[in-house]
Amino acid sequence: MSSNLPNWLAVSEFGRKAQINIRLSDFEIPPMQDILLIGKKAPIGPEAVRRMVEAMSPEQYDIIFLDHKIFEAIVIKKSLLKQISKEKLLPIILEEGELIATEETVIKAQVNITFEINRGIVL
Amino acid sequence: MITTVKEIMTEKLVTISPENSVRKAIGLMEHYKINCLPVIENNQLVGLITSRDVRLNHPNRLVADAMSRNVITIPLNCTLWEAEKLLNQYKIEHLVVIENNKPAGVITKTQLYIELGKYTDSLTGLNTADFLRYKALELLQKENEICIIFLDLDKFGEINKRFGHIIGDKILCGVAQILINSIDAKTDYLCRYAGDEFSILTTEPFNSAVKLTDQISNALKAENWPNKIKITLSSGIAGGQRNTCRNKNLIKVVNNLINTASLASTKAKLEKVTS
Repeated sequence: MSSNLPNWLAVSEFGRKAQINIRLSDFEIPPMQDILLIGKKAPIGPEAVRRMVEAMSPEQYDIIFLDHKIFEAIVIKKSLLKQISKEKLLPIILEEGELIATEETVIKAQVNITFEINRGIVL
Repeated sequence: MITTVKEIMTEKLVTISPENSVRKAIGLMEHYKINCLPVIENNQLVGLITSRDVRLNHPNRLVADAMSRNVITIPLNCTLWEAEKLLNQYKIEHLVVIENNKPAGVITKTQLYIELGKYTDSLTGLNTADFLRYKALELLQKENEICIIFLDLDKFGEINKRFGHIIGDKILCGVAQILINSIDAKTDYLCRYAGDEFSILTTEPFNSAVKLTDQISNALKAENWPNKIKITLSSGIAGGQRNTCRNKNLIKVVNNLINTASLASTKAKLEKVTS
Protein backbone atom coordinates (compact mmCIF):
# COMPACT_ATOMS: atom_id res chain seq x y z
CA MET A 1 0.00 0.00 0.00
CA SER A 2 1.44 3.36 -1.02
CA SER A 3 0.70 6.69 0.60
CA ASN A 4 1.79 10.33 0.25
CA LEU A 5 1.68 10.77 4.00
CA PRO A 6 4.94 10.62 5.95
CA ASN A 7 5.51 7.30 7.69
CA TRP A 8 4.81 8.66 11.18
CA LEU A 9 1.31 9.82 10.14
CA ALA A 10 0.36 6.78 8.09
CA VAL A 11 -2.41 4.89 9.87
CA SER A 12 -3.48 1.50 8.70
CA GLU A 13 -7.07 0.33 8.79
CA PHE A 14 -6.38 -1.63 11.98
CA GLY A 15 -4.11 0.93 13.69
CA ARG A 16 -4.71 3.16 16.70
CA LYS A 17 -5.00 6.89 16.50
CA ALA A 18 -5.23 9.74 18.93
CA GLN A 19 -6.99 13.05 18.81
CA ILE A 20 -5.65 16.04 20.65
CA ASN A 21 -7.94 18.79 21.85
CA ILE A 22 -6.40 21.84 23.41
CA ARG A 23 -8.31 24.36 25.46
CA LEU A 24 -6.38 27.41 26.55
CA SER A 25 -7.52 29.86 29.18
CA ASP A 26 -6.12 32.22 31.78
CA PHE A 27 -4.90 30.67 35.01
CA GLU A 28 -6.61 32.37 37.93
CA ILE A 29 -4.16 33.73 40.42
CA PRO A 30 -4.79 32.56 43.00
CA PRO A 31 -6.88 29.66 41.66
CA MET A 32 -9.75 30.64 43.93
CA GLN A 33 -12.17 33.46 44.15
CA ASP A 34 -13.36 35.36 47.17
CA ILE A 35 -13.83 32.54 49.62
CA LEU A 36 -12.58 28.97 50.07
CA LEU A 37 -14.32 26.62 52.46
CA ILE A 38 -12.00 23.79 53.51
CA GLY A 39 -13.61 20.54 54.65
CA LYS A 40 -12.21 18.76 57.68
CA LYS A 41 -11.03 15.80 55.60
CA ALA A 42 -10.30 17.65 52.39
CA PRO A 43 -7.23 16.66 50.38
CA ILE A 44 -5.74 20.08 51.05
CA GLY A 45 -5.65 21.62 54.50
CA PRO A 46 -5.62 25.23 55.73
CA GLU A 47 -1.84 25.38 56.12
CA ALA A 48 -1.30 24.25 52.53
CA VAL A 49 -3.87 26.79 51.33
CA ARG A 50 -2.24 29.51 53.41
CA ARG A 51 1.14 28.77 51.84
CA MET A 52 -0.35 28.72 48.34
CA VAL A 53 -2.28 31.95 48.82
CA GLU A 54 0.65 33.72 50.48
CA ALA A 55 2.88 32.74 47.57
CA MET A 56 0.39 33.80 44.90
CA SER A 57 -1.42 36.74 46.46
CA PRO A 58 0.54 37.90 49.50
CA GLU A 59 -1.39 39.62 52.30
CA GLN A 60 -4.71 39.52 50.44
CA TYR A 61 -6.45 36.66 52.26
CA ASP A 62 -7.23 35.78 55.85
CA ILE A 63 -7.53 32.27 57.20
CA ILE A 64 -10.12 31.75 59.89
CA PHE A 65 -10.07 28.42 61.74
CA LEU A 66 -13.54 27.15 62.56
CA ASP A 67 -15.17 24.94 65.14
CA HIS A 68 -17.66 23.52 62.67
CA LYS A 69 -19.09 20.08 61.92
CA ILE A 70 -17.97 20.09 58.25
CA PHE A 71 -15.43 22.84 57.68
CA GLU A 72 -12.01 23.16 59.24
CA ALA A 73 -11.26 26.66 58.03
CA ILE A 74 -12.37 29.41 55.72
CA VAL A 75 -10.04 31.46 53.56
CA ILE A 76 -11.50 34.84 52.81
CA LYS A 77 -10.42 37.87 50.82
CA LYS A 78 -9.50 40.69 53.17
CA SER A 79 -11.20 43.25 50.97
CA LEU A 80 -14.54 41.48 51.55
CA LEU A 81 -14.17 41.84 55.29
CA LYS A 82 -13.64 45.54 54.80
CA GLN A 83 -17.10 45.69 53.22
CA ILE A 84 -18.92 43.46 55.65
CA SER A 85 -17.83 42.13 59.05
CA LYS A 86 -16.98 38.44 59.38
CA GLU A 87 -19.56 38.10 62.16
CA LYS A 88 -22.25 38.92 59.59
CA LEU A 89 -20.73 37.24 56.54
CA LEU A 90 -19.53 33.93 57.96
CA PRO A 91 -22.86 32.55 59.21
CA ILE A 92 -24.40 33.12 55.76
CA ILE A 93 -21.48 31.50 53.92
CA LEU A 94 -21.40 28.52 56.28
CA GLU A 95 -25.15 28.04 56.15
CA GLU A 96 -25.11 27.91 52.35
CA GLY A 97 -21.84 25.96 52.18
CA GLU A 98 -22.95 23.12 54.42
CA LEU A 99 -25.93 22.48 52.15
CA ILE A 100 -23.67 21.36 49.32
CA ALA A 101 -20.37 20.38 50.93
CA THR A 102 -19.01 17.35 52.75
CA GLU A 103 -16.00 17.02 55.05
CA GLU A 104 -13.96 15.82 52.06
CA THR A 105 -14.61 18.81 49.82
CA VAL A 106 -13.12 22.22 49.22
CA ILE A 107 -15.69 24.76 48.03
CA LYS A 108 -14.87 28.04 46.38
CA ALA A 109 -17.36 30.85 46.51
CA GLN A 110 -17.71 34.10 44.66
CA VAL A 111 -19.36 36.80 46.70
CA ASN A 112 -20.68 40.01 45.21
CA ILE A 113 -21.68 42.69 47.63
CA THR A 114 -23.72 45.60 46.37
CA PHE A 115 -24.32 48.65 48.47
CA GLU A 116 -27.35 50.77 47.92
CA ILE A 117 -26.98 54.19 49.33
CA ASN A 118 -29.45 57.01 49.37
CA ARG A 119 -28.46 60.29 50.83
CA GLY A 120 -30.47 63.38 51.29
CA ILE A 121 -29.00 66.82 51.08
CA VAL A 122 -30.38 70.15 52.04
CA LEU A 123 -30.96 72.31 49.00
CA MET B 1 19.10 4.05 90.67
CA ILE B 2 15.77 5.32 89.43
CA THR B 3 14.86 4.39 85.86
CA THR B 4 14.51 7.42 83.60
CA VAL B 5 12.74 7.93 80.29
CA LYS B 6 16.13 7.92 78.57
CA GLU B 7 16.41 4.21 79.23
CA ILE B 8 13.15 3.28 77.51
CA MET B 9 12.75 5.89 74.75
CA THR B 10 12.97 5.01 71.06
CA GLU B 11 16.62 5.66 70.40
CA LYS B 12 16.56 6.11 66.63
CA LEU B 13 14.52 9.28 66.18
CA VAL B 14 12.73 9.52 62.84
CA THR B 15 11.32 12.97 62.13
CA ILE B 16 9.41 14.67 59.33
CA SER B 17 9.04 18.21 57.99
CA PRO B 18 5.69 20.05 58.17
CA GLU B 19 5.96 20.55 54.41
CA ASN B 20 5.96 16.82 53.72
CA SER B 21 2.75 15.01 52.89
CA VAL B 22 0.72 12.76 55.14
CA ARG B 23 1.45 10.09 52.51
CA LYS B 24 5.16 10.38 53.29
CA ALA B 25 4.43 10.19 57.01
CA ILE B 26 2.50 6.94 56.44
CA GLY B 27 5.43 5.56 54.45
CA LEU B 28 7.93 6.42 57.19
CA MET B 29 5.72 4.94 59.91
CA GLU B 30 5.33 1.71 57.93
CA HIS B 31 9.01 1.50 57.06
CA TYR B 32 10.31 2.08 60.57
CA LYS B 33 7.36 0.30 62.24
CA ILE B 34 6.62 3.29 64.45
CA ASN B 35 3.39 5.09 65.17
CA CYS B 36 4.40 8.71 65.56
CA LEU B 37 6.84 11.21 64.09
CA PRO B 38 8.04 14.45 65.68
CA VAL B 39 7.65 17.29 63.18
CA ILE B 40 10.76 19.45 62.89
CA GLU B 41 11.12 22.84 61.19
CA ASN B 42 14.32 24.90 61.41
CA ASN B 43 15.68 22.48 64.00
CA GLN B 44 12.71 23.16 66.25
CA LEU B 45 9.99 20.78 67.31
CA VAL B 46 6.76 22.22 65.86
CA GLY B 47 4.38 19.27 66.13
CA LEU B 48 3.76 15.56 66.34
CA ILE B 49 1.98 13.40 63.79
CA THR B 50 0.63 10.05 64.96
CA SER B 51 -0.87 7.00 63.29
CA ARG B 52 -4.27 8.29 64.42
CA ASP B 53 -3.65 11.63 62.66
CA VAL B 54 -2.72 9.91 59.41
CA ARG B 55 -5.85 7.77 59.57
CA LEU B 56 -8.04 10.84 59.99
CA ASN B 57 -6.41 12.96 57.29
CA HIS B 58 -6.21 12.75 53.52
CA PRO B 59 -2.80 11.43 52.36
CA ASN B 60 -2.43 14.48 50.12
CA ARG B 61 -2.48 16.87 53.03
CA LEU B 62 0.60 18.57 54.40
CA VAL B 63 1.88 17.19 57.67
CA ALA B 64 1.39 20.77 58.94
CA ASP B 65 -2.36 20.31 58.39
CA ALA B 66 -2.59 16.94 60.10
CA MET B 67 -0.19 17.17 63.05
CA SER B 68 -0.91 18.11 66.66
CA ARG B 69 0.72 21.42 67.42
CA ASN B 70 0.53 21.19 71.17
CA VAL B 71 3.28 18.65 71.77
CA ILE B 72 3.90 17.52 75.31
CA THR B 73 7.58 16.98 75.97
CA ILE B 74 9.56 15.50 78.82
CA PRO B 75 13.21 16.00 79.76
CA LEU B 76 15.55 13.07 79.26
CA ASN B 77 16.26 12.52 82.95
CA CYS B 78 12.65 12.38 84.16
CA THR B 79 11.38 9.22 85.79
CA LEU B 80 8.87 6.76 84.35
CA TRP B 81 6.29 7.88 86.89
CA GLU B 82 6.67 11.51 85.84
CA ALA B 83 6.08 10.37 82.25
CA GLU B 84 3.01 8.41 83.35
CA LYS B 85 1.68 11.48 85.13
CA LEU B 86 2.02 13.59 81.96
CA LEU B 87 0.38 10.97 79.72
CA ASN B 88 -2.57 10.71 82.09
CA GLN B 89 -2.83 14.44 82.68
CA TYR B 90 -3.02 15.26 78.98
CA LYS B 91 -4.77 12.01 77.96
CA ILE B 92 -2.18 11.36 75.25
CA GLU B 93 -0.33 8.32 73.90
CA HIS B 94 3.12 9.76 73.14
CA LEU B 95 5.71 12.01 74.73
CA VAL B 96 8.65 13.56 72.91
CA VAL B 97 11.82 13.28 74.98
CA ILE B 98 13.89 16.46 74.97
CA GLU B 99 17.63 16.88 75.46
CA ASN B 100 19.19 20.35 75.30
CA ASN B 101 15.93 21.75 73.89
CA LYS B 102 16.03 19.29 70.99
CA PRO B 103 14.02 16.09 70.47
CA ALA B 104 16.08 13.08 71.44
CA GLY B 105 13.49 10.32 71.33
CA VAL B 106 9.88 9.32 71.77
CA ILE B 107 8.13 7.19 74.36
CA THR B 108 4.72 5.64 73.90
CA LYS B 109 2.15 4.72 76.51
CA THR B 110 2.55 1.02 75.65
CA GLN B 111 6.33 1.17 76.09
CA LEU B 112 5.88 2.97 79.38
CA TYR B 113 3.35 0.54 80.81
CA ILE B 114 5.43 -2.49 79.81
CA GLU B 115 8.32 -0.93 81.71
CA LEU B 116 6.23 0.18 84.68
CA GLY B 117 4.94 -3.38 84.95
CA LYS B 118 8.46 -4.34 85.97
CA TYR B 119 8.14 -2.04 88.98
CA THR B 120 5.07 -3.78 90.29
CA ASP B 121 5.60 -6.87 92.38
CA SER B 122 3.69 -9.67 90.64
CA LEU B 123 2.96 -11.58 93.87
CA THR B 124 1.59 -8.82 96.08
CA GLY B 125 0.69 -6.17 93.50
CA LEU B 126 2.70 -3.62 95.51
CA ASN B 127 5.20 -1.24 93.95
CA THR B 128 8.86 -2.14 94.04
CA ALA B 129 11.71 -0.20 95.69
CA ASP B 130 12.33 1.94 92.60
CA PHE B 131 8.90 3.55 92.99
CA LEU B 132 9.63 4.31 96.63
CA ARG B 133 12.88 6.03 95.69
CA TYR B 134 11.13 8.09 93.01
CA LYS B 135 8.35 9.13 95.38
CA ALA B 136 10.81 10.01 98.14
CA LEU B 137 12.82 12.13 95.73
CA GLU B 138 9.70 13.88 94.48
CA LEU B 139 8.57 14.69 98.03
CA LEU B 140 12.01 16.02 98.98
CA GLN B 141 12.09 18.18 95.84
CA LYS B 142 8.79 19.68 97.00
CA GLU B 143 10.45 20.32 100.37
CA ASN B 144 8.36 17.81 102.31
CA GLU B 145 9.76 16.04 105.34
CA ILE B 146 9.87 12.31 104.84
CA CYS B 147 10.31 9.26 106.97
CA ILE B 148 11.23 5.73 105.83
CA ILE B 149 9.92 2.70 107.70
CA PHE B 150 11.69 -0.57 106.91
CA LEU B 151 9.83 -3.76 107.84
CA ASP B 152 11.54 -7.15 107.84
CA LEU B 153 9.53 -10.30 108.62
CA ASP B 154 11.18 -12.47 111.26
CA LYS B 155 12.35 -15.99 110.41
CA PHE B 156 10.54 -15.98 107.11
CA GLY B 157 13.16 -18.25 105.54
CA GLU B 158 12.35 -20.87 108.16
CA ILE B 159 8.62 -20.55 107.41
CA ASN B 160 9.32 -21.20 103.72
CA LYS B 161 11.46 -24.23 104.55
CA ARG B 162 9.05 -25.69 107.09
CA PHE B 163 5.67 -25.01 105.43
CA GLY B 164 6.67 -24.58 101.78
CA HIS B 165 6.79 -21.59 99.44
CA ILE B 166 3.07 -21.70 98.62
CA ILE B 167 2.26 -20.98 102.27
CA GLY B 168 5.12 -18.47 102.34
CA ASP B 169 3.62 -16.65 99.34
CA LYS B 170 0.17 -16.64 100.95
CA ILE B 171 1.67 -15.03 104.04
CA LEU B 172 3.46 -12.39 101.96
CA CYS B 173 0.16 -11.52 100.24
CA GLY B 174 -1.58 -11.37 103.62
CA VAL B 175 1.14 -9.09 105.02
CA ALA B 176 0.81 -6.85 101.96
CA GLN B 177 -2.94 -6.60 102.53
CA ILE B 178 -2.48 -5.69 106.21
CA LEU B 179 0.02 -3.01 105.21
CA ILE B 180 -2.36 -1.61 102.57
CA ASN B 181 -5.13 -1.46 105.19
CA SER B 182 -2.84 0.19 107.73
CA ILE B 183 -1.45 3.06 105.71
CA ASP B 184 -3.10 6.35 104.80
CA ALA B 185 -2.97 6.67 101.00
CA LYS B 186 -2.77 10.46 101.32
CA THR B 187 0.50 10.47 103.25
CA ASP B 188 2.03 7.00 102.97
CA TYR B 189 3.58 5.04 100.06
CA LEU B 190 4.15 1.34 100.32
CA CYS B 191 6.47 -1.05 98.51
CA ARG B 192 7.72 -4.62 98.69
CA TYR B 193 11.40 -3.85 98.95
CA ALA B 194 12.69 -7.38 98.45
CA GLY B 195 11.81 -10.94 99.52
CA ASP B 196 10.26 -10.60 102.99
CA GLU B 197 11.09 -6.90 103.35
CA PHE B 198 8.56 -4.11 102.95
CA SER B 199 9.02 -0.39 103.20
CA ILE B 200 6.75 2.57 103.83
CA LEU B 201 7.53 6.15 102.90
CA THR B 202 5.52 8.64 104.90
CA THR B 203 5.26 12.41 105.12
CA GLU B 204 4.12 12.05 108.72
CA PRO B 205 6.63 12.92 111.49
CA PHE B 206 8.84 10.34 113.21
CA ASN B 207 6.47 9.81 116.18
CA SER B 208 3.57 9.01 113.84
CA ALA B 209 5.82 6.60 111.93
CA VAL B 210 6.58 4.79 115.22
CA LYS B 211 2.84 4.55 115.96
CA LEU B 212 2.12 3.21 112.48
CA THR B 213 4.87 0.58 112.87
CA ASP B 214 3.42 -0.56 116.23
CA GLN B 215 -0.05 -0.71 114.70
CA ILE B 216 1.23 -2.90 111.83
CA SER B 217 3.18 -5.13 114.20
CA ASN B 218 0.07 -5.68 116.35
CA ALA B 219 -2.10 -6.36 113.29
CA LEU B 220 0.37 -9.02 112.08
CA LYS B 221 0.40 -10.68 115.50
CA ALA B 222 -3.41 -10.63 115.70
CA GLU B 223 -3.94 -12.15 112.26
CA ASN B 224 -5.02 -15.76 112.00
CA TRP B 225 -2.24 -17.07 109.70
CA PRO B 226 -2.35 -20.48 107.98
CA ASN B 227 -0.97 -23.44 109.96
CA LYS B 228 -1.18 -21.25 113.08
CA ILE B 229 2.09 -19.61 112.09
CA LYS B 230 3.09 -16.59 114.17
CA ILE B 231 4.26 -13.62 112.15
CA THR B 232 6.37 -10.93 113.73
CA LEU B 233 8.56 -8.28 112.24
CA SER B 234 11.63 -6.22 112.95
CA SER B 235 11.51 -2.61 111.94
CA GLY B 236 13.73 0.40 111.47
CA ILE B 237 12.69 4.03 110.99
CA ALA B 238 14.75 6.88 109.58
CA GLY B 239 14.00 10.54 108.90
CA GLY B 240 11.16 12.77 109.97
CA GLN B 241 13.19 14.62 112.60
CA ARG B 242 15.71 16.70 110.66
CA ASN B 243 17.23 19.62 112.55
CA THR B 244 20.05 20.58 110.19
CA CYS B 245 20.21 21.86 106.62
CA ARG B 246 19.40 19.20 104.12
CA ASN B 247 22.10 17.79 101.85
CA LYS B 248 21.64 19.21 98.34
CA ASN B 249 22.12 15.80 96.76
CA LEU B 250 18.58 14.54 97.29
CA ILE B 251 19.22 11.11 95.74
CA LYS B 252 21.94 10.63 98.34
CA VAL B 253 19.50 11.75 101.06
CA VAL B 254 16.94 9.16 99.91
CA ASN B 255 19.51 6.37 99.74
CA ASN B 256 20.88 7.30 103.18
CA LEU B 257 17.41 7.23 104.72
CA ILE B 258 16.60 3.82 103.21
CA ASN B 259 19.96 2.46 104.31
CA THR B 260 19.62 3.83 107.84
CA ALA B 261 16.12 2.37 108.21
CA SER B 262 17.29 -0.96 106.78
CA LEU B 263 20.27 -1.16 109.15
CA ALA B 264 18.03 -0.25 112.09
CA SER B 265 15.68 -3.14 111.24
CA THR B 266 18.65 -5.53 110.98
CA LYS B 267 19.85 -4.31 114.38
CA ALA B 268 16.38 -4.83 115.86
CA LYS B 269 16.33 -8.37 114.46
CA LEU B 270 19.76 -9.19 115.87
CA GLU B 271 18.73 -7.88 119.28
CA LYS B 272 15.74 -10.25 119.21
CA VAL B 273 18.02 -13.19 118.40
CA THR B 274 20.51 -12.39 121.14
CA SER B 275 17.93 -11.54 123.82
